[in-house]
Amino acid sequence: MGQNFRLANLGLINRDKKISFKFNGKKYFGFEGDTIASALLANGIHLVGRSFKYHRPRGFFGAGVDEPYAIVQMVRNKETEPNVRATEQELFEGLDAKSVNCWPSVNFDIGAINNFFNKFLPAGFYYKTFMWPKSFWYRVYEPFIRKAAGFGVASTKYDSERYEHKYEYCDLLITGSGPAGLAGAYTAAKSGARIILAEEKPRFGGSLLTSDVNIGNQSGKDWADKIIAELKEMPNVTIKNRAQVFGYYDHNMLVMSEKVSDHLPKSKKFTPKQRLWYVRAKEVLISSGSIERPIVFGNNDTPGVVLASAAKEYLKVYGVLVGKKPLVFTNNDSAYETAIEFKKYGIDVIVLDTRINPKSEIIEEAKDLGIEIKFSHVVVAANGYKKVKSAQISKLSDNKKDLGKIEIIKCDCICVSGFWTPTIHLSSQSGNKTKFDEKIDAFVPGTSKQNETTIGSANGIFNLEETLKKSFEKGQELAKKITNNDLKISVPQVSEKKSTNHDKFWCVPLPDKKNYKRFLDFQNDVTVSDIELALREGYRSIEHVKRYTTLGMATDQGKTSNLNGLQLVSDVENKVVPSVGHTTFRPPYTPVSIGAIVGREVGKHSKPTRKSPMHSWHEKNNAIFVDAGIWLRPRYYKKGNEDLFEASKREAENVRKNVGVCDVTTLGKIDIKGPDAAEFLNRVYTNAWLKLPVGKARYGVMLREDGIVMDDGTTTRISENHYHMTTTTAQAANVLSHLEYYLQLVWPDLNVNVVSTTEQWAGAAIAGPKSRDLLQKLFPDLDTSNDGLPFMGYVESKLFGVTAKIFRISFSGELAYEVNVESDNGNYMWEKIMDIGKEFKIQPYGTEALSTLRIEMGHVAGTELDGRTIPYDNGLDGLVSKNKDFIGKRSLNRKAFIATNRQKVVGVVPLDKKTSIPEGSHLVVDENAKLPNPKLGHISASCWSVEYNNPFSLAILKDGKNMIGKKLFALSPLKNKSIPVEIVSSHYVDPKGERVRS
Amino acid sequence: MQKYSVFSLFKNALKGHKDWQVAWKDPNPKEEYDTVIIGGGGHGLATAYYLAKEHNITNVAIIEKGWIGGGNVGRNTTILRSNYMHDENGLFYEKGMELWRNMSQELNFNVMYSPRGIINLAHSDAQMNAYARRGNSMKLNGIDATLLGREEIKKLVPILDFSENVRFPIFGGLMQPSGGTARHDAVAWGYARQADSMGVDIIQHCEVTGFDVVNGKIKGIKTSRGNIKAKKVGLCVAGSTSILAEMLNMTLPLETHLLQACVSEPIKPILDHVVTFGAGHFYCSQSDKGEMVMGGDLDGYNSYAQRGNLPTLQHVLTEGIAMLPFLSKLKMLRTWGGIMDMSMDGSPIIDKTHIEGLYLNCGWCYGGFKATPVSGWTFAHTIAQDRPHDLNVGFNLNRFNTGHLIDEKGLGTKTWIS
Amino acid sequence: MLYIFCPHCGLRSQNEFSYGGDATVKRPALNKEVSDEQWNNFVYNRKSPRGKHVELWQHISGCRQWIKVQRDTVTHEIFKTVEANKEI
Repeated sequence: MGQNFRLANLGLINRDKKISFKFNGKKYFGFEGDTIASALLANGIHLVGRSFKYHRPRGFFGAGVDEPYAIVQMVRNKETEPNVRATEQELFEGLDAKSVNCWPSVNFDIGAINNFFNKFLPAGFYYKTFMWPKSFWYRVYEPFIRKAAGFGVASTKYDSERYEHKYEYCDLLITGSGPAGLAGAYTAAKSGARIILAEEKPRFGGSLLTSDVNIGNQSGKDWADKIIAELKEMPNVTIKNRAQVFGYYDHNMLVMSEKVSDHLPKSKKFTPKQRLWYVRAKEVLISSGSIERPIVFGNNDTPGVVLASAAKEYLKVYGVLVGKKPLVFTNNDSAYETAIEFKKYGIDVIVLDTRINPKSEIIEEAKDLGIEIKFSHVVVAANGYKKVKSAQISKLSDNKKDLGKIEIIKCDCICVSGFWTPTIHLSSQSGNKTKFDEKIDAFVPGTSKQNETTIGSANGIFNLEETLKKSFEKGQELAKKITNNDLKISVPQVSEKKSTNHDKFWCVPLPDKKNYKRFLDFQNDVTVSDIELALREGYRSIEHVKRYTTLGMATDQGKTSNLNGLQLVSDVENKVVPSVGHTTFRPPYTPVSIGAIVGREVGKHSKPTRKSPMHSWHEKNNAIFVDAGIWLRPRYYKKGNEDLFEASKREAENVRKNVGVCDVTTLGKIDIKGPDAAEFLNRVYTNAWLKLPVGKARYGVMLREDGIVMDDGTTTRISENHYHMTTTTAQAANVLSHLEYYLQLVWPDLNVNVVSTTEQWAGAAIAGPKSRDLLQKLFPDLDTSNDGLPFMGYVESKLFGVTAKIFRISFSGELAYEVNVESDNGNYMWEKIMDIGKEFKIQPYGTEALSTLRIEMGHVAGTELDGRTIPYDNGLDGLVSKNKDFIGKRSLNRKAFIATNRQKVVGVVPLDKKTSIPEGSHLVVDENAKLPNPKLGHISASCWSVEYNNPFSLAILKDGKNMIGKKLFALSPLKNKSIPVEIVSSHYVDPKGERVRS
Repeated sequence: MQKYSVFSLFKNALKGHKDWQVAWKDPNPKEEYDTVIIGGGGHGLATAYYLAKEHNITNVAIIEKGWIGGGNVGRNTTILRSNYMHDENGLFYEKGMELWRNMSQELNFNVMYSPRGIINLAHSDAQMNAYARRGNSMKLNGIDATLLGREEIKKLVPILDFSENVRFPIFGGLMQPSGGTARHDAVAWGYARQADSMGVDIIQHCEVTGFDVVNGKIKGIKTSRGNIKAKKVGLCVAGSTSILAEMLNMTLPLETHLLQACVSEPIKPILDHVVTFGAGHFYCSQSDKGEMVMGGDLDGYNSYAQRGNLPTLQHVLTEGIAMLPFLSKLKMLRTWGGIMDMSMDGSPIIDKTHIEGLYLNCGWCYGGFKATPVSGWTFAHTIAQDRPHDLNVGFNLNRFNTGHLIDEKGLGTKTWIS
Repeated sequence: MLYIFCPHCGLRSQNEFSYGGDATVKRPALNKEVSDEQWNNFVYNRKSPRGKHVELWQHISGCRQWIKVQRDTVTHEIFKTVEANKEI
């Protein structure tokens, strides 16, 4: 099919590069620089989709970001993308697009049956029905509605594209490269300010690309080209096209999405699809322009009804006629430019102007060109279903309320202009309270809240000369503030034919006995009568109107509909628009790819991974890893066909019998130094610390101020004023901040310094009856006897030339040592231990075996210290000093905490000594009690006791200390299990703690 | 009151929908009421409704600073659930679920109650155990719950990331089959319409500026539209509680924080459940309109601004893609923020106060929407009977003194860590 | 994203900091008898003002110092920041 609606030699597209693409399976041609919309229009295609609710045919309404309907499904580089706006997506070779929300085809859409029932589907109809039978909403109606709703189809494949983030700082960010933006950017850049100029479209120049103006004896476009060329050469200027500043956040942080490769068939190597820019700007010049708003009339959603500015853009940028028999319907001068462009290319055009007898240079020009102009005339309704065929027009009474005789004139498109709405989204997002400007019937920015200044038509200034003058001034003023250079640029001579006067007329009354649908929101099918209904039903706040009717909630976020909606509400409610107010402008200005927001943190990189220095050894030795926060720890080392249970049992048994080694690098380590370190620890931990000798370690528990256990671990006195604290893996960062908080804010008088040394040390726990023998071999010069290195003792020694810290501490309950060496030597240490340990039948053990060992010893850990328990609950009464104050102590004497039947950790053994009790089971008296069944406690940790070869669990049990010997049921209804159990002491193995001291 | 039904819809259609009556009136405040509820959000409207319906107290006014339903009931992610571990929460929210199940019919307003099931994903055995503890507690409290393995989750929600290319693989999850969603605005409007029909005055655009307390007893309130006498006053103002508390010289265990949410552009059905990510904080469901409704962490500092910053959403959506890779090619359409009354143990407060006749309903954190009916139901009881119902007796203010805290997450007083 | 002035390092983006809550809450001195009310005011009760709020932030990805920041909880504007040992 030829491009019958393309004019020769006109526009800014590259005619040397023909591009083939598909739409709804059919092949078409366009040119490089086209959008899907311009290329389809060039081919005479107007029907692009169906509306959300009534499935009415929809065409192209705008030519950019304001487009309410032309949304397509697109395939690019074999990946499908839903909801692509056809007026923004540039054409590339092989582009494959299709219509959405229609079945079986856009031409014949079954859903259009809704249009016949539209009477029964007014705003909010679904709130009034679909209530019976009760289960039908979820089972019948909702699935049906869900299927009918939604536009495109999401890809179920991985996004193979790359998205990047960039953080940038600048003196001045300018959003939009129209006349205002260029003038502001130019002065500021010349003054030496570091600027970023962002343009959402592929081409710079904004309205200058299409309007008929002269600046300094050249066309607006030539002037723009010249400024852009000059800016591009300047080192202090970053200039980006296809870059949409979509959000204005706190403290002058703005975010823009740059579509780097979307216009290409596929992204080039090392080039992202999109780049997200976080820009911290000292000052922001908002020059985002304005969006033409429609006049509302009957069937104004018919394909072929377009914004006058869009028609002009299709003509001047793309050389495309939206129709060959156009009608222009306006209440202001700007649409005359559209009419004149048509006429220039030999197309006859009729202008209907709602104004009574307006005068301006451009109207004179139109008259001189022989364009037929009907003042005081309106389009009452468009005729045609899938395309405008004619228009019903009428004279409008002088009070604008009554229509005259309806006349029908043939036309194939209606170019409508109801004046301009400043794009105030960014300034409003910045916190700027908008104000209503009566002159232009629209909201403009009020007083700046952040360092932002709005210029040009975004500020409601539609006169070019004034725009340039003020923008040059603002650029100068801001640049002076930043650079101290006071560079004044004189405003070039400007000639502009159109005036800025407009008629305050926005909605054509219905003729008698006609009930045409008059659309406000084209995508969500919100009509004038919908808004009227909402108001009639008492949904009177503008937010209620929006939510009840869904006005402005479509993917265009009401860019062309919101203001007309407000006008309607103010008319019906007899209020002025500013007192109706508008809904909140929120980022993003236009939808932004979620991939771009997320950037590179996808897949395995969604969170960082921390590994110990021995990680590769573990990998080589069949470790199965477990996530511990962002650390990876060996859970067990698989031998042959072993499963988790078998392997961890073997590992634990070997610790009890021989010796095992466990990587404990992940434990948090904090170095504490200073003359007041002992006093500090004494305040941080619940037990006494003042008398800990040098070379000794002590177990401690620290609380939050609310009395809940925060963390536990051992701390060792390395020298007089030097301590080495260990924390749990999970709490390492919190504990450090906690200590710093008290040192810096609460007790600044204490002379203590803390620093994290977690990364500095690699740790190996050597545990088991043969661990002393192994240690002796590792450190031949060391006195490893109970006298030389007693339980909780600490020494420093050399491990084959490498400095090592040796702590005689134990989590497993066995005779055990923890050896720390500098991280770089971690693997060296590990291999030595494994090598020399062979003769003692050493085996590495993972976190699962570690759990088993600690559980049967009754040592509490994360599942007991779960942020809800106090020391007494965990059997740590002995560690709570009565003689001194410490963090959280005051909370411990609260009623619930000192209750005599307070929960306490206990041991649980199944009566049959066979059935493992699933963790998370609850303990009850009566397994068959009626629900809710009172719970006495829960199973916090379970293991297979390697000591007794039967299951053993820990539980936090109400009145635990008086429950020893009692029989209860452990219920896990999730797993349909009810297990009779006996409550025993939590210290199942070696209750006297003899082994660690052996 | 007009009855809504398919027949009334049909009948009115034939008359061009000209005969629909207002859903609620817009009266001026009277001089005096038996009970004044401050806050025309979901909880306030529900409280007024149940005061009228369950306790026959109809001389009631709802005082709303802006427009009704404009607080968190109009800016949440519409999730309903009762999947709590602690008895106080579980039993309370399960009563809520019962009220949800019948709400559309009771209110004669379709709130689109959709029990599509909520799934909390687990990414480790330890997390599976923590979920088992919660799920078993639910079951023993008579709440539906199932623990699902990886393969079972895969069958239900195949669109989740089950590939090798993940940082935190899915081990399984806890599902509450009766959990789901409802249309948030409709809940506010449905309660408003019924409350109005029973004689409750819904007074919008009326800001409370002070309280009239004499000898430890509430006598009335001062508003931007004049003084209103009242025998009893209930506070239902969520994130604004601390502001009113200051007028009453009360300092509460609350902080107001900012939570953002966002939706994608609408797409055809792809996710049939509510799913939450277990290795972070992200939740997602698909609205009937086709939008993916998403949320996660607080912005993390005290705030009364209903606007947040992008890095928080970036963080939330990072977890979103980790869970649902298809999100990458969708576009974020709309973001918004709400202010949350974060309590110091993460659980709500529904109680009397030291001022006679003044009642407090707050501390909903970011979970207030699902509580709307049961919060109203128990608060109405507390006000009408001047004592808490068994269901909210645990949500007393004194628990911070006694230590009877209800901390589901075990995070303590750092309310900004979500 | 907030832009916070660290008195030790200069202006830094919020993502280098972690929040620490109300800075006006003072911990009762050690070993001092305090009433339940005083203690609870310290542990739980917060003014949570709408408007100026003096709060703590820690520059965790920087100097690790706790600082006090006076910030508006409605506009998020920051008026002043000082070192931990100073008052606003």
